[in-house]
Amino acid sequence: MKPLIFCLLVLCAGVLISEAASLNIPIEKHTLKNGMRVIFSRDTSVPVVSVYLIYGVGARNEEKGRTGFAHLFEHMMFQGSKNAPKGMHFKLVESNGGSLNGSTHPDYTDYFEVLPSNKLALGLWLEADRMRALAINQENLDNQKEAVKQERRLSFDNQPYATAIVDRWPELAFNNWQNAHSIIGSFEDLNAATVEDVARFFKTYYAPNNAVLVISGDFDTAEAKKLVETYFGDIPAQQQPKAPDLTEPPRTQPKYEVYRDPLARVPAVIIGYPGPVRRSADYNALVMLDLLLTGGDSSRFQQNLVKGKKSVIQYEANLGWPFASASDYKDPGLYAMYLLYNPAFTGEQIVAQVEEEIAKIINEGVDAKELERARTFLRATRFQQLQSSHARAALLGRYELLDGKPELINTELNDFLAVTADQIRAAAKKYCDPGKRIVLDIVPAPPAPEKPEDKT
Amino acid sequence: MDLTKPPKTPDLPVYKLPPVYETTLPNGLTVLLVEDRRFPLVTARLGFQAGSKYDPKELAGLSESTAALLTEGTTNRTSRQIAEEVASIGGALRGDSSADSLVVAGNALAENFAKLLNLLADVARNANFPEEEVELRKQNRKQELLAQRSEASFLADEKFAEILFSPHPYARQDPTPESIDRLNREALVSFRDRYLIPNNAVLVLLGAIPPRKQALEMIQTEFGSWQRKELPAAPPASFPEPQRTIVLVDRPGSVQADLRIGRLAVTRSHPDYFPLLVGNTILGGGASSRIFMNIREKKGFAYDARSTALPLKDAGTFAAITQVRNEVLTPALEAIFDELKQIAAAPVSADELTTAQNYLSGVFVIRLETQDGLAGQLAGTKLMGLPLDYLEKYTARVRAVTPAQISAVAAKYIHPDKASIVVVGDASQIAKQLERFGKVTIEQAK
Repeated sequence: MKPLIFCLLVLCAGVLISEAASLNIPIEKHTLKNGMRVIFSRDTSVPVVSVYLIYGVGARNEEKGRTGFAHLFEHMMFQGSKNAPKGMHFKLVESNGGSLNGSTHPDYTDYFEVLPSNKLALGLWLEADRMRALAINQENLDNQKEAVKQERRLSFDNQPYATAIVDRWPELAFNNWQNAHSIIGSFEDLNAATVEDVARFFKTYYAPNNAVLVISGDFDTAEAKKLVETYFGDIPAQQQPKAPDLTEPPRTQPKYEVYRDPLARVPAVIIGYPGPVRRSADYNALVMLDLLLTGGDSSRFQQNLVKGKKSVIQYEANLGWPFASASDYKDPGLYAMYLLYNPAFTGEQIVAQVEEEIAKIINEGVDAKELERARTFLRATRFQQLQSSHARAALLGRYELLDGKPELINTELNDFLAVTADQIRAAAKKYCDPGKRIVLDIVPAPPAPEKPEDKT
Repeated sequence: MDLTKPPKTPDLPVYKLPPVYETTLPNGLTVLLVEDRRFPLVTARLGFQAGSKYDPKELAGLSESTAALLTEGTTNRTSRQIAEEVASIGGALRGDSSADSLVVAGNALAENFAKLLNLLADVARNANFPEEEVELRKQNRKQELLAQRSEASFLADEKFAEILFSPHPYARQDPTPESIDRLNREALVSFRDRYLIPNNAVLVLLGAIPPRKQALEMIQTEFGSWQRKELPAAPPASFPEPQRTIVLVDRPGSVQADLRIGRLAVTRSHPDYFPLLVGNTILGGGASSRIFMNIREKKGFAYDARSTALPLKDAGTFAAITQVRNEVLTPALEAIFDELKQIAAAPVSADELTTAQNYLSGVFVIRLETQDGLAGQLAGTKLMGLPLDYLEKYTARVRAVTPAQISAVAAKYIHPDKASIVVVGDASQIAKQLERFGKVTIEQAK
């Protein structure tokens, strides 16, 4: 049994892991002739293997009049391909004891199969077949437009807070349409999508040179390499797609908007600040700042706002919230937080309290004990996360696609742990600037007046 | 190699659970130890038969509030000290309650095993429910409840449980604003003293734990002096006969109708359970199931369309679940009814059966990939009153199911003759459609 995490003492039974435990997840990277990047990460401790395929296309690549298209396309990827007709993808994976899914993000779209270890060939064959020749036809498109519209109704239109978060927040937070438009899209744009759009999108973005394949878990490396070459090797490369222009004009003043949500019963507020360049020193510092503010029950928000002031009920925060977290945040983006609050307070008061917490860090700094606690919390959370082969594969794929450096899975922890208290203060001051703050205050709207004649 | 055909792969690999050491302390505490040195982590579960079914009627939500408040102060530590100590051992510690059980879940970096054990014992044995924490919990739980009640799925699950289980306490698994108002320190202390006792508990410790002898000594130190007590009887496991009831919970402005169609079925220990589990998987258990393929992929009525066979300890349920746009409620209901009848009327094909059996066997192993996954399965098995070899024998039992057994259990539990229907949606848009299926009671969403 080969441990994923090496340290000096791990092989010595009964002796507990030292403070110095560091990550050593195996990484072997290849590039096929057609430009597809492949990462192998072998660990045989559980007979499970994960296939993860990430494409460099997301909602920020969409064109005007086609909001929601990247996501609609993701649905089309499950509608059959040349040799795996409609229904076969689901059926083959499930009948071989595996699970699967796909998801659309601002900057990428990913697909995975988690399978019993000796079923690796199946996952690779399915992914290769649809990369090579997706079945694109009107019937599948019409059907998936309906499924996506139902998804929109279920997950957004019929949910409190959700339309504010997915439709309005990006519009408020960004000025460039590429960043600001809705990731789920409008019914109008979904209806307008044509079979030709789907075919063009497929050719442009779903090419091997715009993809990273990761295989992680229990497999035989030589066999896996052979399978990858056989299945993917002759899929033709396409012209590298043009990256969208995501430039945001510099923000010069704060924004505050009230959103009346007829489905919400409890108020919530979203607060965001324009964030740093991914992987910059400031990015590392903001990851640590976020931990101090919101990581775990000992965090400042929990202790001072939920407990002390009793003003906040629940919260979440992240670089890139709500569609990303620090691991897949890509600038331009925001450090944003979402707080469900006690209706005895106002949105303005919550914003002031949040900024008071940040100001305390800026003015008084962070004591060594608190910082050490946050570091330990981070280390442990990362170990927890990396237990699953799928989670390892997803991070490797994203770091290759977004950073060109899958080894960050092992090294970034040290970058975060090395951040000093002074760097955190400086980053808090630089980024959490009330002059650039964007706020969306979501307040319960009174229910629409009832029409008695409609009642049964 | 022929790329036009899916590759042939060997049969599923055999997976054996890691060895589980089980013992019982003199005070009745059941202990399970599993060594797993893949990661420098340890995971703990301390579970009690103390779920919401033990809540007194007027104090719905007592179990979940007890669980949530265990980590908010003990006779040795304040809430803040607990939070800071847990963070500094690289861990997490929280109490949660479900219909049958109350579980304190914890984890930590392996080097901090002793501290985790000490914290776990402290919150389970010495929680003192400080007034201020109780008041804050009440205030925030009321707001959370309001937020939950703004979700259609919550309202649907609530009404479905009420219809299927009343008057058994499974009928109400969440608090009401009134029951939250009645909550106080005395009720919490009394619930803890009654149910959080060693002879009602199972302790699972898993991961890079110390050698057995040392681990057992540490467990004895933390839990040895915990006093055994007489355990009050569980509420009688009696449930109403299934019958067709149709309730429409009116949620004005809903853009879709959220449906539950189903009835009481069986628990995990009933001989019909495995045939029902496999039959349900074929019918609506995954993305290649009949309901998914028909309602979503063929008809495009819904995004989410599935069925579940959900076993609690004393009763099980079967339900088909979907959310459809208002205009297609009638054809969607008809299509689901057809599927529920069809699986009872004709034997499933050999191909469907193998697909479902492999799917269940495969995802069973995937769930055990992480420490949390394995610890959850072990604690859950014990808390459900099942023998530990339930996990070992699970795959074999799934494989032993035959098409004839599936037809038989489908006729008993899936056929919709006695299925109740719960719909949450805008009555002004959908009530007339629903009336075609029987007498409809319309209730206002509270």
